[in-house]
Amino acid sequence: MSNLFEFPEDREASSAAKVRALEALLIEKGVIGSDSVDAVLKHFETMAGPFNGAKIVAHAWVDPAYRQRLLDDTPKAIAELSLPLGMAGAEGEHMAAVANDEHVHNLIICTLCSCYPWPVLGLPPYWYKDPVFRARGVREPRAVLQEFGVTVPPDKEVKVWDSSAQIRWFVVPERPANTAHLSEAELAALVTPESMMGVALVAAPTA
Amino acid sequence: MFTRFEEYAAASMLGAPDSPPRVDGKLLFTNRWERDVFGLALSLAKAGCFEWEDFRQSLIASIARWEAADCADQPRWDYYERFLEALFDVIEAHGVLTRSELAGVIKARLPAADPTATR
Repeated sequence: MSNLFEFPEDREASSAAKVRALEALLIEKGVIGSDSVDAVLKHFETMAGPFNGAKIVAHAWVDPAYRQRLLDDTPKAIAELSLPLGMAGAEGEHMAAVANDEHVHNLIICTLCSCYPWPVLGLPPYWYKDPVFRARGVREPRAVLQEFGVTVPPDKEVKVWDSSAQIRWFVVPERPANTAHLSEAELAALVTPESMMGVALVAAPTA
Repeated sequence: MFTRFEEYAAASMLGAPDSPPRVDGKLLFTNRWERDVFGLALSLAKAGCFEWEDFRQSLIASIARWEAADCADQPRWDYYERFLEALFDVIEAHGVLTRSELAGVIKARLPAADPTATR
């Protein structure tokens, strides 16, 4: 009985060896360059991802004038920050920000398929492309938000924004209370992709 | 719609059975070789060795074979094991490497003491 859940210990090592040998042979034959693998992954790891959105949100929190510029002309305001090159291009140039405040909670969906502001939010979660989520997000956003654990008071308006190839929305969430002592970088670390989609609030630091 | 191949490739997998593991907007790799094999597949498609869709179909087929296997013979579910199998299949089908070259790769073993290899 004891070996029922035994895991072949060498399988990981075996796969690692195969991948290493495969990459070495492909480079040796000149099929790919020695830096090809790092180059494609760099796109996901340093150029386009939720770290960009978090920096934008944190800057908007500490600088009210910047926050206004971000809402007025999102691509121009993003260009003010020194963010990586992944910000440029078709997915980035049509972005628009909407801000949560005491009166409004914003929710981003895409009824058409899965248009998403990749450069600032990274890869969308599984459920973003789910037809049920897309349909219910429009029909009963408060119920959907409740299921995500976000209770929006009845006197607060819920606005639903439909991303498309023309405009890709993201949310500037509300800054949590008791964060006046935090640096901009510390604030950025609190911002999650879900909060920039409007399906979560930014939690105050636990410490 | 996408100006970057990387985004086209990742987007085509989202919401489909071949979706890669991810967390908080980022790809989730548990081991170093998983990152490398993901990058290899993208690099080869980007270099024109095969169409990305060919790789995707190979991956979907590999996942389906795993699902159809008898319980007794079924290895533990591991997305990147299926990914690696799919990559070998598409490399062979498109003649990127010869069968004997691939056989050499499949027989590869790590040096005995190499703690960095799987991390």
